[in-house]
Amino acid sequence: MTAPIPPARPATDRPSLAPSRGDRPGLRAVAPAVIATAVPAALAVVATVALADGTARAPLAWGLGAAALLLCAAVAAASRATVTARLLRRRLDSVTNDTGRLLQERARLTGETSRERTRLTDEFAAERTRLTEEFAAERARLTEEFAVERTLLTDGFAAERTLLDERNTRDTARLTTELAQERARLGTQNARQAAELRRARSDRAAAVSAAANAAGRMQALATGMLADLRAMEDKHSDEEVLADLLHLDHRTAQAGRLADSVAVLAGARSGRRWARPIVMESILRGAMGRIAGYQRVRVHSASEAAVAGHAAEGVMHALAEILDNAANFSPPTAEVHVYVEEVPAGVIVSVEDSGLVMGEVQLRRAESAVSGEGADLGGLSGTRLGLAVVGRLARKYGLRVSFRPSARGGTGVLVLVPQDILSDSSGAETPVAPEPPALPAPEPRETHSATRALPDPEPEPVRAHEFASHDDESAGNLPKRSRGRTLAEAERGRSRTAAAPEARSDADDKYRGARFGSFRQAVRRTPSDGAGDDTPPGDAPRERAHTGSAQDSGPEPSPHATSHLEGDPTS
Amino acid sequence: MSRPGRDDAPDRLYTLTGGRSRSAPDTPFDLVTLVVAECDPVPGMQSEHTAILRLCARPTAVVEVAAELGLPVSITRILLSDLLAAGRVSARHPRKAVHNGIPDPDILEQVLVGLRNL
Repeated sequence: MTAPIPPARPATDRPSLAPSRGDRPGLRAVAPAVIATAVPAALAVVATVALADGTARAPLAWGLGAAALLLCAAVAAASRATVTARLLRRRLDSVTNDTGRLLQERARLTGETSRERTRLTDEFAAERTRLTEEFAAERARLTEEFAVERTLLTDGFAAERTLLDERNTRDTARLTTELAQERARLGTQNARQAAELRRARSDRAAAVSAAANAAGRMQALATGMLADLRAMEDKHSDEEVLADLLHLDHRTAQAGRLADSVAVLAGARSGRRWARPIVMESILRGAMGRIAGYQRVRVHSASEAAVAGHAAEGVMHALAEILDNAANFSPPTAEVHVYVEEVPAGVIVSVEDSGLVMGEVQLRRAESAVSGEGADLGGLSGTRLGLAVVGRLARKYGLRVSFRPSARGGTGVLVLVPQDILSDSSGAETPVAPEPPALPAPEPRETHSATRALPDPEPEPVRAHEFASHDDESAGNLPKRSRGRTLAEAERGRSRTAAAPEARSDADDKYRGARFGSFRQAVRRTPSDGAGDDTPPGDAPRERAHTGSAQDSGPEPSPHATSHLEGDPTS
Repeated sequence: MSRPGRDDAPDRLYTLTGGRSRSAPDTPFDLVTLVVAECDPVPGMQSEHTAILRLCARPTAVVEVAAELGLPVSITRILLSDLLAAGRVSARHPRKAVHNGIPDPDILEQVLVGLRNL
């Protein structure tokens, strides 16, 4: 494949100081002299030995042989030394020649170096001088240019500043005058708007007071109409007439609620005031009676708490608005459930519907509406007065209203009626049931049982935490109100008889007579309608009930099975 | 006709009966039917029912119940029908005191006492 590289042959022409092969003389250079000596020596020895006696022949041979050998060795050493001296002399000559050549070369190089250094030194000095001169010239030029430029700019700046100063002064003067004019103009405008605001405020106050006045009159009318209707309901026992009267009653109650709402929003005092505490059952029924869909409301309450008379109307109204909202925003057949729970802070009424779930934004809006903080009439719309009314009433009576999603799928409203507008239920009386007010004491607190709007005589199972049943009120202790006695007197009489029950049994005859007397009162006809006006208020409903009873004595109940009100539940 | 009294009840009559204004055609109550409670009031009942049950611990006429409650007789009859349907009261027609033409002397005595008390 590749040709073998021939080994480099040593250069023959280089001056070499290394010892050559001739340094040590080889055998070939020594051999001739040795041979030339050895041959005669050997001949001489042989001759001598041959000539000598027999006895001396052997030692002589040995001695001569040794001498001959020594002679040969000496000749060899001399010959070798001679050759070596010749070689060394030759090398010394060549080395001397080399040394001379090298000295010449060094002298030549030294001369060249000194020449070159001199030349470079000269060139450097010349270059430095030249650059120094150029730099000085450049600096002088730049200095001049800088001075010129600075002068120029200083002049321009001064001119500019003067110009701006003048302009600034001019502008300042102009703006000052404009400001004064603007201020004067705004001052007059402000005064005009203040006057307009005053006028608008007085207009608003007048309108609000007119609305309040009208609402108050409407409230009075509604209250009077409700009382009239109640009297008529007691008077007419015909079921047809009663159904119509109840229908009218319902409509009038709703109209009265609207008048109440307007009055509340106009800042008038709300509705009527009750002279005594109203128990929670009546509060809830009063609230239900003012809304259209009251038949869909289911009340679960066993609370005995009563709301103080001054606040009862407000609480009733607020609950009516909340119930109306719940009934309106749930499907027309869904029920609205009301739970009453007594807590240390008061009474919590929770209204749960299964209608629309309020979104986050709606909940916040409703919360802010019922917080009662936006007391202005600005955000009102014509059809959504309810929550604003609730907010006003809540602020007035300290109610706390909160919204949350209901477990029934709709919205739940919690109303906390605070303790300070609750009053002891022992002072409360339910006029439609003039029993001793302390009687229902065994009913437990925090009990959810069913008091249905549709009367359900079979109450749902009662979840009673504490159930203290004291049945010390027997039927014999029931208050009997004889004619001419007010309810309070009957109460006092009852407490006296309760203190001495055995005296009661002694007067059994008298008791039976009293029973008959009440029967007789029941069938007695009221002499005239006009006589009812001077009847004491506590007696008036009773009188009318008797009138109705007398009229009802003859005919059988009407064959109509459905009432008018049932046919028109959400009018 | 009347002045709006301060001691009316806030309950409207239609809320007591859930809107019903007439009783069922087969209701056994007329004015003088005697009503007797069959059990004690239960917590959570409507307050009128409680009152009726307390009142009728002794036999009591419908018209008396109505007078004591201060309610029209029609409304009272509806309430009583509910209680009767639940078996909490029983109805009994009064003794025929005059079926042989001679009134019971007890009744006459009670009438007399009642007349004197007037």
